[in-house]
Amino acid sequence: MKRSKRFEKLEQMPINKDGFAYEWEEVGLVCMESPFDPTPSLKIENGIIVEMDGKERKDFDSLDKFIADYGIDVSYAEEAMAIDSLEIARMLVDIHVPREKIVKICCASSPAKVTEIMNHLNVVEMMMAQMKMRARKRPANQAHATNLDDNPVLLCADAAEEATRGFAELETTCALARYAPLNAIALMLGAQTGRAGTLNQCSMEEATELELGMRGFTSYAETLSVYGTETVLIDGGDTAYSKAFLASAYASRGIKIRFTSGTGSEVLMGSAEGRSMLYLEVRCLFLTKACGVQGIQNGSINAIPLVAALPNGFRAMAAECLIASMLNIEVASGNDTAFTHSDFRRGSKLMMQFMPGTDFVTSGYGGIPNFDNVFAGSNEDCDDYDDYYTLQRDMKVDGGIVPVKEEDALAARNKAAKIIQCVFAELGLPEITDEEVEAATYAYSYKDMPPRNKAEDMKAATAMMDKGTNGFDIVRILYENGFEDVAHRLMEMLKQRVIGDYLHTSAIFDEEFRVISAVNDRNDYMGPGTGYRLSDERWARLKEKYSALKPQDI
Amino acid sequence: MTEAINQDHAILEVKEWKEALPGQSADEVVIALSPAFGTQLTKSIIDIDLGTILKELCAGIEEEGMKPRFIKVFNSTDLAIIASQGSRLSGSGICVGMQSRGTTVIHQRDLVPLDNLELFPQAPLYDEKIYRKIGRNAAKYAKGENPEPVEILNDYMVPSKYLIKSTLMHFKEGEMMDKSKKAMDMKVEF
Repeated sequence: MKRSKRFEKLEQMPINKDGFAYEWEEVGLVCMESPFDPTPSLKIENGIIVEMDGKERKDFDSLDKFIADYGIDVSYAEEAMAIDSLEIARMLVDIHVPREKIVKICCASSPAKVTEIMNHLNVVEMMMAQMKMRARKRPANQAHATNLDDNPVLLCADAAEEATRGFAELETTCALARYAPLNAIALMLGAQTGRAGTLNQCSMEEATELELGMRGFTSYAETLSVYGTETVLIDGGDTAYSKAFLASAYASRGIKIRFTSGTGSEVLMGSAEGRSMLYLEVRCLFLTKACGVQGIQNGSINAIPLVAALPNGFRAMAAECLIASMLNIEVASGNDTAFTHSDFRRGSKLMMQFMPGTDFVTSGYGGIPNFDNVFAGSNEDCDDYDDYYTLQRDMKVDGGIVPVKEEDALAARNKAAKIIQCVFAELGLPEITDEEVEAATYAYSYKDMPPRNKAEDMKAATAMMDKGTNGFDIVRILYENGFEDVAHRLMEMLKQRVIGDYLHTSAIFDEEFRVISAVNDRNDYMGPGTGYRLSDERWARLKEKYSALKPQDI
Repeated sequence: MTEAINQDHAILEVKEWKEALPGQSADEVVIALSPAFGTQLTKSIIDIDLGTILKELCAGIEEEGMKPRFIKVFNSTDLAIIASQGSRLSGSGICVGMQSRGTTVIHQRDLVPLDNLELFPQAPLYDEKIYRKIGRNAAKYAKGENPEPVEILNDYMVPSKYLIKSTLMHFKEGEMMDKSKKAMDMKVEF
């Protein structure tokens, strides 16, 4: 065939470097609306669920049983299940139906019922519903800070810059697992240097992650993965009970957590039991509820290249984040994994959570270049800041971060680098030189940093953990070495665990360490003039564009 | 079960031998393979012969004066579990775990399954040379040394290109999984 020049050009466009696939329902390679998803049902006898979604209690696997016994409000279940799914779908976009009423219905419904409600909604309706159903009135955002060399000085400076930009939570991980304590400390120091009250986590293997929290090096955790089939949950060495137990371990130390799930993970792990990705994700959300956990990170996360390869991918991801909100769970709504070569496509994906707003619009905006992102790249990175700010300005939407001046970013970076230099010296960790402090202040990526001896760093990290070093030791070091302001902030973060108010649903801190959560900042959206509206002060910050022309310039 | 697969350049033969027991020899490094490795799947996600990969791994281990020992894990397709089991069977306590697609980890006996010494999660980025370096570092850990880790490679567009293929390869691993079957010592020829 003689080729069309236009078709030839199209073939070379970035979008056509992405992978795409047709649905394969039998193995679960289908986002939603699968003919193999169960028909909704709940039968209750003497206050116990004896049938759920067409399966009798005697046939329940451990996951079914856990959800049926702890995840569903049986006192209202018969009424909730009697309401037609289409009617509930309409309630979601009806400004006269309050959020609380829908939460009550969904918490008393079965997983298949909630999945069925989504099948009635198009994406604009889902976005409308997301705006109304988000638990916390004020939206926020989360950032990733990592680098390929696990360079602690750079990590600390990056965290400080991200906190300055207003991210409510910062997340790191390691290229090399043995760096974990150093990365956690670096992120914590940077977070509190940049903005008081910024929460910080270090995503690691579960025992390590818990220990970092108990030592006072992290203030929340997110990477507690759950799956929607018993096989995958068990293959990962877990049960519903072990997850609930882990959640309790964090709660007992006053540390905020959320679970992580997301469409596509079960089929990716090879066991979807022939169900749609969305149905399995709804089971994860009910499991989260059943474990008494306040929040979820979802929106596909790691499996997004697979979900986005199939029809209905973006719609299913919008649905899963919305369902979390319908169950009154905090949602950190994905947009944290690179999945496409197309800027057009990744921007459109972001808009589905950015425009309505979620508790965390992204569960990891890469505040670093994507090649430095050890979470294998985010949907947005540091080169996208001005796009993101401009979209907030264009639409008068609060995406959770604010523009900063270069000199302010540099000042925060420099201070953070000096602080970690001091802490390393006092803890007897390998020296951080003045040259490294200078490099981290101005760096773009790990390539701008003098190399460190990784083997020595990791050895020292292990020795530090063996010695029992904890968060208070670091407070004392900062206090005694002229960094009283940051010492006070770290101390306040430790005190907050005893107070425990930030364990409430969707909690974040403002700069005065006041908790902002779904309890004291309840989303009361009931149409125009209600819900979250930008204050004049906030709007003045969001619309700042330093390079824009001012009338007095002429 | 024996399956020999003839290819243009390499003949890889992965044969079950006997039930794997904890090794007694401190100079062995276990290479723990996933269920479909070398039998149902013979090429990595970027079509490197798995025989070539094993050859490089072994060369790296032997260069450091240590001995490779092959086992196969059948009761899991999860790399962390595969490698963790391997490390518990390894005389030195060190194991290189591998899935057929090429994803690799260096594990150590006293670590919990999801922890590791070095992880190589982005299989499409690794050429033969990297596998030799992995073998070398594994051997160094086995000797009680604290080597400089193999360089970290990262390409954030890898999943968007390869996740579907990776999922389909994982289905194959799943088909060969047998929950009740213990890890076996393997005879491997390449």
